[in-house]
Amino acid sequence: MMPDTTPALEIRNVTVRHGGVTAVRDASLTAQAGEITALLGVNGAGKTSLLRGIVGLAATNGEIRLDGHEIGARTTEDRIRAGLAWVPEGRRVFPGLTVAENLEVAGPSDSATRRERLTDVVARFPQLADRLGDRAWQLSGGQQQMLAIGRALMARPRVYLLDEPSLGLSPAVADILAESLRTLAAEGAAVLLAEQNAGFAHPLAVRRYMLRNGEMGAD
Amino acid sequence: MIATQLLVNAAALGAAYALVAVGFVLVLNATTAVNFAHGESVVAGGFAAVALANLLPPDIAVPGLILLPGVLAVSALLGLAIGALAYLPIRNRPPVSVFVTTIAVGIIIANGLNAGFGAAPRSAPSLIGTGGFEFLGATISRQSLAIIATATLLIAGLAGLLQRTQLGRQFRACAQDPEMARALGIRLTRITLMAFALGTAFAGVAGLLLAHQFFVSASDGSVLILKAYIAVVIGGWGSLRGAAAGALLIAVFEVGIAAIASQPVAEGALYIAVLLVLFVRPQGLFGEPQQVRA
Amino acid sequence: MNLRNHIPAAAVGIVLVVYATAFASSYDQRLLALSGVYVILVLGYQFIFGHAGALSLAQGAFFGAGAYATGILATRWGLGFLATFPLSIAFAALLAALVAAPVLRLRTHYFALATLALAQLLLLVAVNWEGFTGGANGLSGVPPISILGWQAPRGLPLVTAVWVVAGIAILLARQQMNPVRRAAFAVARDTPLAAPAFGIDAGLLRFRAFILSAGFGGAAGALFVHTNRVVSPETLGFGVMVTCLTMTVVGGRSRIAGALIGALLLTHMPEWLRGLESYYLVAMGALLLAMVLFAPDGLASLLPAPKSRSGPAVIPEPAVFAEAFAGPPATLDASGLHKSFGGIRALGDLSLTLASGEIAGVIGPNGAGKTTLANALTGIAPPDAGTVHFAGRAISGLAPHDIARAGLTRTFQTPQLPPALDVQAIVATARNHAGSQSEAPAVVDALAFCGLADMASVPAGTLPHGLRRRVEICRAIVSRPSVLVLDEPAAGLTPEEQAEIGTLCRALSDAGMAILLIDHNVGFLRPIADRLVCMAEGRILADGSPDTVLTDPAVRAAYFGMDA
Repeated sequence: MMPDTTPALEIRNVTVRHGGVTAVRDASLTAQAGEITALLGVNGAGKTSLLRGIVGLAATNGEIRLDGHEIGARTTEDRIRAGLAWVPEGRRVFPGLTVAENLEVAGPSDSATRRERLTDVVARFPQLADRLGDRAWQLSGGQQQMLAIGRALMARPRVYLLDEPSLGLSPAVADILAESLRTLAAEGAAVLLAEQNAGFAHPLAVRRYMLRNGEMGAD
Repeated sequence: MIATQLLVNAAALGAAYALVAVGFVLVLNATTAVNFAHGESVVAGGFAAVALANLLPPDIAVPGLILLPGVLAVSALLGLAIGALAYLPIRNRPPVSVFVTTIAVGIIIANGLNAGFGAAPRSAPSLIGTGGFEFLGATISRQSLAIIATATLLIAGLAGLLQRTQLGRQFRACAQDPEMARALGIRLTRITLMAFALGTAFAGVAGLLLAHQFFVSASDGSVLILKAYIAVVIGGWGSLRGAAAGALLIAVFEVGIAAIASQPVAEGALYIAVLLVLFVRPQGLFGEPQQVRA
Repeated sequence: MNLRNHIPAAAVGIVLVVYATAFASSYDQRLLALSGVYVILVLGYQFIFGHAGALSLAQGAFFGAGAYATGILATRWGLGFLATFPLSIAFAALLAALVAAPVLRLRTHYFALATLALAQLLLLVAVNWEGFTGGANGLSGVPPISILGWQAPRGLPLVTAVWVVAGIAILLARQQMNPVRRAAFAVARDTPLAAPAFGIDAGLLRFRAFILSAGFGGAAGALFVHTNRVVSPETLGFGVMVTCLTMTVVGGRSRIAGALIGALLLTHMPEWLRGLESYYLVAMGALLLAMVLFAPDGLASLLPAPKSRSGPAVIPEPAVFAEAFAGPPATLDASGLHKSFGGIRALGDLSLTLASGEIAGVIGPNGAGKTTLANALTGIAPPDAGTVHFAGRAISGLAPHDIARAGLTRTFQTPQLPPALDVQAIVATARNHAGSQSEAPAVVDALAFCGLADMASVPAGTLPHGLRRRVEICRAIVSRPSVLVLDEPAAGLTPEEQAEIGTLCRALSDAGMAILLIDHNVGFLRPIADRLVCMAEGRILADGSPDTVLTDPAVRAAYFGMDA
């Protein structure tokens, strides 16, 4: 890794406020393209708040840079269109939409490209292949997780922000998840993985950060 | 046969009501807030038709169909205005505030129309001409057919839009999880305004359709919003299909009971029925998927 | 000191009297009488819309009900004011009582619909039952107010009569909405989840507000008919409802001054806007819209807030011992609890005992069911199966406010405090609903114990997170509970603040209170807990001393090797 490569995602001295509480104080981290970066911490440490702050769903102070460009002043929709992707805790697939519709709605406006990418996602996550017509609420936790990641993939983002993706998954499914994350990184994206499950995150990440009560420490 | 006649009348009335109810639910889904100005939007559509008809040469009998694009445009613009003024500025406040702002907008519309057009009920031209034909002992007027056809086309078109297009998927996603929709790059504000425009356009067309036979007056709004509201309670809060079905049921109820008793009795029976439904099932007839997770 | 508060009101009163007697024409006097009528109507609406926070669209209907009652009784049976007035109020209140039980259960959008349907129904009856109500034309020839021979014809006598009643209404409203009630309503409205946990029966409050609003509405309608001498279906129309709503929003939805401002202003506005002619109603609508968008609290919010009555002149040294807050020792015994949401099992055959004076920490990963357990114990989400015994009684079927009054209180993950209420009012609400806890300590003592004595008049919305937590705890202990359930008290607190909470808990448990502490932060729990209970997937994995539980391999696995 060249030392002067612009990181895909860089945040500096970011403070996140949420509901009158300062959830994260003065946090800084870097996530490089092609790598998986872990953000570890207990529940309530502020991981979700920090990710929400990066995406623009929580009020922040400080610098947030995507490929060197400052995005802190942009709306959530604009940050996503700039190449950020957010896979929240609990997946939050659209329950009333089918699997195929969940994927399509996240795709580009050109229908040909959209269909191409949908085929690609199904190829990566074969568990979704025969469930394309099912409504998303019918899927298991693991399948929903695949769907949520696949949905993020449809936009071909530069940076993935994943909030506790291994939550509630059996070890076997967690392995499949881990594999898919490795592939995403190998293809050039930066993956920021927020986890309380250190056992899942440790083997995957080359860089680790630790959040304790809103304060960041490097590992 | 009387029954056939009643059925035809109910179908036509129900079709118009369905347009109103479907437009109402569209906005409801986009905002989780009740648009109290929706009834007045129907009335505004009717008056738009009256005004546009006045622009046409008086001695040529022009079918109301020509007025349709104009009414659609005016109503859509009205919807945008309602969304921009009465919803967007307060979208983060509790839903009660939207009730009050849309009531206010309804007052503005109703009284503006009253001041502009006067209190007397007005009529708009029929869509494809007057007259009708006999069928199975009933007189089916052209207007009734026109109403049924227009409503069916529009609602089917909307269903197609929602189910088969990318825009429709975005609509539905915004209704189910607006924050997540934003987090996928969907422009929530744009979609919300579109919902207002589309929903109000439907209301306007219903106004045009109803104005010929039933006349339109500025004070009709509150009864119309009440019926849309009732249709949604019957059909299931948030369901477009349910709203259309509920609207049809209301029309059948109204026409049926009016035939046996009288119009006021029909209306009263409707209100009593909905009060009973709410008392027995406070979550609505088909309920809402609602689980309060700790 | 109390008198000083009344000087502005007295000044306004004097101005009105002078205006009415010396300057007002007979038309102006009529407007003044009308304003008085609307003051009563809006005061009534404030109960249900302002305090209970429910959008009722039936206020116009109650107005019309009172109007028709007076009109019919006076013209058909020649009854005098002393009979028609109370009967009109009773009729409107009865109407409300009949529909109250089912209607008040409904959530916002259904409640508004039900009240709207009710109003339309009454209108239909009035227009169509011609024989009785006079139909679309209504009834004319309603006599003026006559009380024991004294008549109140149009002009000054009528204005006086109306405003005397309005004055009584104001006094009644003040008495009904004293600061304690206001605070209880604020808690029930702004934090509906928390209200029952402090003994507040929100349903009862709403019922009372609804009946009061109807009674006041009926009174206003009755007086209206005496000023108009005619009763017509317009009194039941949506127009009255809209006028009432606008006056309430413009004036202020919960302050009595707001009712006066709204009624006086909007009754006289058509005069000032006369140039607009038929467009003046459009202007009213625009005003309503503008008020909601830009000044939702109404014009009364521009007035200085009334000073709270009880300023302690001499503060006795409070006895800040924990013993004052611990209720009689009691054991909490939960056995075989089951709870499912939709097909997901949140609690499975869970049994737990808590002895008095014990601090038990509950830990577990997300989704383990910890908050579900708290909700099951406190009655907010009763279990599907299993029993909870507390102080020998079975409490599993009781309503949450009854459980709270029995001595089991709690705090919430996110502090549930109405932002506009000050700290003292919040703590006082809990104390006032403490039920039979007659030996509950004074509010000042509770504030002092929790280190909040300096913040008594600070609105809760402006407090930082750590202090809000403390207010929640203070509120939970002022009613002298025997068992306290704390849901994630340490979340979001600095280490110093956590230590303070820990000290507080230890003091309370040493005094005999049993405390169930749910938290993720094992570092916070370890020094203060006598016992740790680890939950996962709705069951208890381990239950024992902190050291035993934390070294249990099953517990470590549940946390996937996380650092303790």
